[in-house]
Amino acid sequence: MFTELNSILNTSPDSFTQGEFILVSDRQSDASFLIHHFLSFYLRARCKVCFLGLAQSFCHYGAVSQRLGVSLTQAKEKGQLVFFEGLKECLSVLLPKENNAESGAMNFLRDPPVGLRSLYEFVRSSVIGSGSMEEGAEQWGPNVLLVDDLSVLLSLGVDVGAVLDFSHYCRALVCSQIQGNMVMLVRCNEEEDDDDGDEGSEVLLKGLIHQCNLNLHVQGLPTGYCKDIHGQMEVCWKRRQGDAPHMQKNLFQYKVHDKGASFFARGTSSAVL
Amino acid sequence: MLSELLQGIESGGFLIIRDSCSYSGRDLLKSFITAALNREEVIHVLCFDVSEEELKDGLKPSDTQRLHIHNAYSDPLGWTGHPNFTAQQFSLEDLTNLVKQTSHPKPAVLVIDSLSWILRHKTPPAVCQTLQQLRKGGAVRAVIGLLHTDMHQRGTVGSVCHLATSLISVAPGVKGKEAVARVTKRSKSGKVMQDEEIFCIAEDFTVTILSKASHAEHKTNSTEEEQADPTANLTFNLRLSDSELEAKQKLTLPFVFSKEKKTALLHPGPGSGRILYEPDANDDYDQEDPDDDLDV
Repeated sequence: MFTELNSILNTSPDSFTQGEFILVSDRQSDASFLIHHFLSFYLRARCKVCFLGLAQSFCHYGAVSQRLGVSLTQAKEKGQLVFFEGLKECLSVLLPKENNAESGAMNFLRDPPVGLRSLYEFVRSSVIGSGSMEEGAEQWGPNVLLVDDLSVLLSLGVDVGAVLDFSHYCRALVCSQIQGNMVMLVRCNEEEDDDDGDEGSEVLLKGLIHQCNLNLHVQGLPTGYCKDIHGQMEVCWKRRQGDAPHMQKNLFQYKVHDKGASFFARGTSSAVL
Repeated sequence: MLSELLQGIESGGFLIIRDSCSYSGRDLLKSFITAALNREEVIHVLCFDVSEEELKDGLKPSDTQRLHIHNAYSDPLGWTGHPNFTAQQFSLEDLTNLVKQTSHPKPAVLVIDSLSWILRHKTPPAVCQTLQQLRKGGAVRAVIGLLHTDMHQRGTVGSVCHLATSLISVAPGVKGKEAVARVTKRSKSGKVMQDEEIFCIAEDFTVTILSKASHAEHKTNSTEEEQADPTANLTFNLRLSDSELEAKQKLTLPFVFSKEKKTALLHPGPGSGRILYEPDANDDYDQEDPDDDLDV
């Protein structure tokens, strides 16, 4: 959990807006440090987290969260965290074994035109299916869905429209129906192309920006590589929030450390001042 | 022109609000809904993009009798098994049945939020056909649609917008709350009028037109600064008098390849540059016989 980012977004584990769709996007950069932030943030806030880890293994997230002060293994055992390990599930689809219970969530690997309906069913069952409380189970806070990341689905052959439908359904379920929060990561590699409407990741990014409430867009510095400043992050509030103006954009620069990240206004890095 | 459109759309009219990632046209759409409700019109909204609560947020609760929101947000593809309205149901019969369910004597205005959702799941020709049939059909008086231009190919956007009688393209303005609207209106006689206005939307979704963008700014850049004269205010004279200027222009520079030089080089004149050589004894130096005494 990065305390500076909390103050920028005006949230804390004790009080945060519910029913929000936060989109984390990056262009030729790596914004996955923000996913680790939100994971530790919501676990600290005692929310029930459903995490679709499609890009990395469970151990990776566990190791990074350990540095941020949160134990994923413990959270999983207590039932606070439902972790979907995409890398393992892929193997179980492609190399089916007798004793391996195939959850079917990744069956789009066999048949991409089918779309992401089964993945959505998995999310739905983990978010709503937890209604039946076992004896002695702890009461957790609002549900949160984290996805890392959506661009992996594009490279696995899923259609852009199917990914947008999936995010729409997740938003309808998580944000609107049960008033939880949703954080999704989407990555773009190419430069912005005005003409081509077919470019997969660009159309996906634009479609998700239309759906989201808050967009954190991470990019490299426009002037080039710098050792002390790793990049810039644009915070873009989309919806009306009380008296806030219609669309508010703020630009910050950041540096990722061993145990966190620091954010500062442009030009105020401690290395520069 | 924006305020004229807000005051009413003619029968059989089709208005499209085009927006992009940088500025959402939903607030303007809600302004149109509010204005129509204030005129005592019946409105049916096909809600795909956002939830019903989010759409109703900010609208006055007293008008909800004439406002019918059809929830196509929670299950637009039928994944849950009992959908309210799906994207596949966007056809003339289904829409006419939908609108006729609520029996009102006046034909309603149909608001679609958004057309992009439908275009992603149905082919553009089918969508255009349905829209055209709706306009001519008579079940609805007018249609207002929201279209996200950056989510489709230019051809698709162009085809759908070609059907519209009025187009409003919104973009973010220079200052915080302002936005720029480019309005195109096609009248029945075939005349096309275009205008560009700056507007802002208040909390109760009333639109205030601030100014016309086409006449504002850009005038400050036209006056060029006068070039500073470097030869003024000096203690010595750098200027040339008229005779000096003439002499300067007559002067040929030494290395400039002029026509006279060219002819002089190509046709050398007599006695100019001929080399006469008489062999000298000292020049006759044989490397292999420096003393010149070998009998070879």
